[in-house]
Amino acid sequence: MTGTAGAAAEVASLLPTVGVVAVLLDDATMDPDAAAALVSATNGLGVLAVLDHIDLPTVVPLLKAGVIGCLPADSPTSDLVRALVAVGRGEIALPPSIAARALAELARPVGLDRRATNELSEREHDVIHLLVRGQTNKDMAQALFLSVRTVEAHLRSIYAKLGVRSRTEAVLWAVRQSPDEGGRE
Amino acid sequence: MTFDTDRRATGNQPLDGPIDDRMDVTTKGLTPVAVVGTLAEFRPEPTPYDLVALVDFVRTIGPDLLCLDMTLEQWRLRDFGGLPPEYRDALLPLAQQTDIVVVPIGDDARADGLTAVDATTSGPAGPRRWLFDRLRAAVASLQRGAKSPVAVDRGARHWMAELLYHLMDWLSGAPAMHRGSTLHGAITHREALAERVVELARRDTGRRILVVVNARYCHYLRRALGRHSEVKLVRYAEL
Repeated sequence: MTGTAGAAAEVASLLPTVGVVAVLLDDATMDPDAAAALVSATNGLGVLAVLDHIDLPTVVPLLKAGVIGCLPADSPTSDLVRALVAVGRGEIALPPSIAARALAELARPVGLDRRATNELSEREHDVIHLLVRGQTNKDMAQALFLSVRTVEAHLRSIYAKLGVRSRTEAVLWAVRQSPDEGGRE
Repeated sequence: MTFDTDRRATGNQPLDGPIDDRMDVTTKGLTPVAVVGTLAEFRPEPTPYDLVALVDFVRTIGPDLLCLDMTLEQWRLRDFGGLPPEYRDALLPLAQQTDIVVVPIGDDARADGLTAVDATTSGPAGPRRWLFDRLRAAVASLQRGAKSPVAVDRGARHWMAELLYHLMDWLSGAPAMHRGSTLHGAITHREALAERVVELARRDTGRRILVVVNARYCHYLRRALGRHSEVKLVRYAEL
């Protein structure tokens, strides 16, 4: 079936309850957040995005958002059908010209964000190193001879710079950033 | 309970409102610091320490940082055996049970091995020694006679103790002291204590610092800390 819809929930409401395995989105300005909402609303259906321009900066965020297929808008019909079938099976469907690089980018640890690393101050690096070792705020404060409230302030700053929301996410970030961190004494 | 306490905000006005919210003091670049003196100097004498009262006192203040006259090496090795009972049996266990962070401010490089006990035997010789000992006994008596920290903190008792400590310094020849002497070590040590408190105040600006040291260093520390614009020297009750 075909149709037009605005919000992700609206798309989901248009879908029949059975017999649908894939959703094709024809949106030249596909926003990753909107794609993520749609993926969530369609409850695990394969989503294929048709895009005006296929390049890494466009495709990778969509893949991270849960879209599993991307195709240029000028693709032949046969390619479109194959891609729809593939995403209906849960397979990734990407143009060969970009597939390898896009998957390599996806496979990279999330934490390899040198910019974020560089944004951390020396003291914040000290704090996150201790955090990875499982230390409590008091432990970290005592190790650095800083007040607990100062350590808490550093943690808030670290979360903001790394774009994480919790202690666990920060630890995961740090471990991905430097896999040896977890085992370091 | 008998321990000397800091009792004035030298050259500074009292803080406006609680320090709990760091914003106010941080924007002014000030770090509130209070100094409390223990009677460790008189430890060899049979002083009835009330460590429970000391623990309650510090717990009530609840400082962010607790500066103690111990070396970094002692802290790292957890070598607390040679520390005064106020530290070993009261303040260190308290810090372990709370969010109070201990900061060692003792001088690692101190070569003369001066301890609180040594201080009782340091000082001048001859007639000056006799007067020195009388003054010291007077200070001890004054401080022992205080029924509470508040009593030590008020009135003539404080001023008399401060005057006596100054006289003891003068009798000991502090201004003309020879490098390497025991008392020179004490002077160097108290200067190091002050420097480390100031360094901490700069490093963790706006946090509430309580310094608990031998009573003999208090009067110097208060003066030394009061000279630094980034330090807001306060009474312990205002911390």
